[in-house]
Amino acid sequence: MYWLASELHTHTDHSDGKQTLSELAEGAAKLGFECIALTDHNTLSGLDGRENVEREWGLTIIPGMEWTTFYGHMLTLGLQDFVDWRTAELSNIHKGISEVHRKAGLVGLAHPYRIGSPICTGCHWEYEIRNWNDIDYIEVWSGTFPSIKTDNLRAFSLWTDRLNEGYRIAATSGRDWHAQVATEEPVSVTYLGLRADKPQERNQISQDAVDALSHGRSVVTIGPLLTMEVESANSWFGIGDNVPAPSSDPDESIDGYWGHVKTVFSVRQGLWELPEQNFTLKIVGNTGTAAERSVGAADEVYRMNIPEGGLLWARAELWGTVHGVRALIAFTNAIYFNEGRGTE
Amino acid sequence: MLLDIRGQVTPDDSRQHVVYRFQLDRLTAKIWIRFNYSPKVLEDNERAKSLIIAGIDLYSAPEQKQLLKDAWERYQPLTNLITVSVDDPEGNRGACHRHDPEQLLFLAERDSSPGLTKGKLVAGVWSVTLSLHSIVSEQCSYHLQVWASEEETECIG
Repeated sequence: MYWLASELHTHTDHSDGKQTLSELAEGAAKLGFECIALTDHNTLSGLDGRENVEREWGLTIIPGMEWTTFYGHMLTLGLQDFVDWRTAELSNIHKGISEVHRKAGLVGLAHPYRIGSPICTGCHWEYEIRNWNDIDYIEVWSGTFPSIKTDNLRAFSLWTDRLNEGYRIAATSGRDWHAQVATEEPVSVTYLGLRADKPQERNQISQDAVDALSHGRSVVTIGPLLTMEVESANSWFGIGDNVPAPSSDPDESIDGYWGHVKTVFSVRQGLWELPEQNFTLKIVGNTGTAAERSVGAADEVYRMNIPEGGLLWARAELWGTVHGVRALIAFTNAIYFNEGRGTE
Repeated sequence: MLLDIRGQVTPDDSRQHVVYRFQLDRLTAKIWIRFNYSPKVLEDNERAKSLIIAGIDLYSAPEQKQLLKDAWERYQPLTNLITVSVDDPEGNRGACHRHDPEQLLFLAERDSSPGLTKGKLVAGVWSVTLSLHSIVSEQCSYHLQVWASEEETECIG
């Protein structure tokens, strides 16, 4: 698995950004990003010359767009064909989503709890969602130092609530990056898990990155990379995978699952910092906090027991103090469990 | 002039698209679009306050409402927002989602304004869509002009 450092929500002067694609890519490369999604408002024209910019700055640009509509902003990723955002109405967003999916794209809710019109036009998600299976991801962290912002806490809860209901939806961060303005606030990264080693060909990286997100292989952080695998009955499962229900045969009792949680503090060295401290590492799921321990700032794997019984999903979370505030620093996307799904 | 339209909209027109079509009789080198609207900023503070308070009530978390209301001025100024998008006879030619109340845009085969897609300007029915994202002033006037040019290199200041 190769974890591709990505920024999934950006704008250029093709919409209301104050930067060219090359300036954006330069800024991203300097922050250690290997991939950005260009998600200009309602246009794909900024992708013109994409290959040159990719070569110039050595990063991958995923084609995307932010449907900047009257009742919500919806990110689309991975398609270069236009789907008409102007047809979206309060009760028919699924029609547009289906069209995006037909063209092999993904859809995500952008900053769903940002204040809406007329303060920020269409920024608050108001569309009726009749089937959450249609939603590929939710941008749960928007902006810089995202984990402490109320709007993002609400988005994070929305995601968790959907997971608790049994939906399988990915979570991402996005800076909603409009200009090259320096910030002292922590910048978040969405790492996308590419199946194999990093491919050489950029179009392939872009496709693999979209594939990773569509399968929920993503991790969100303002610093260290946090990943998790679950060991069950001698099989291993990664983020986004589905863990089969354990055998009902008492002779094959597994005594819970083992979560192997990896912290990598050596990523993007020098590009982020956290005060020296003991961090709290948790495995959290629909059944609550399954495991918890203190960890240091090291590249390390921690083996933590996850009790079986009613599990639908589990994710790893890393907590600590950032700018004097107790905050979520990193979280993985979910690993799913069949045992909690009953006999469906 | 292919289009020369003056219009006036009110807050009730918010969240609607207005489509203007025009016919291009033959392959053309360049299309110009000039669009402006006024006012941009809602100057009426009382009106702004009541719209902002209503927005906070509608969209913010219950525990945050009072805090945000006490600081309602941080959301000033409220502005009108109308954006332009373009379609040719074969499909979409992009959008210019930006906040400038005056825009001079062009499309040509080898170049175009940011937001719009360069390419051949084929004959047929074209359209310019005005998306009324938000009208906060009691009235907002706009002026849309579209014209063609035979010279792709023609510049207008």
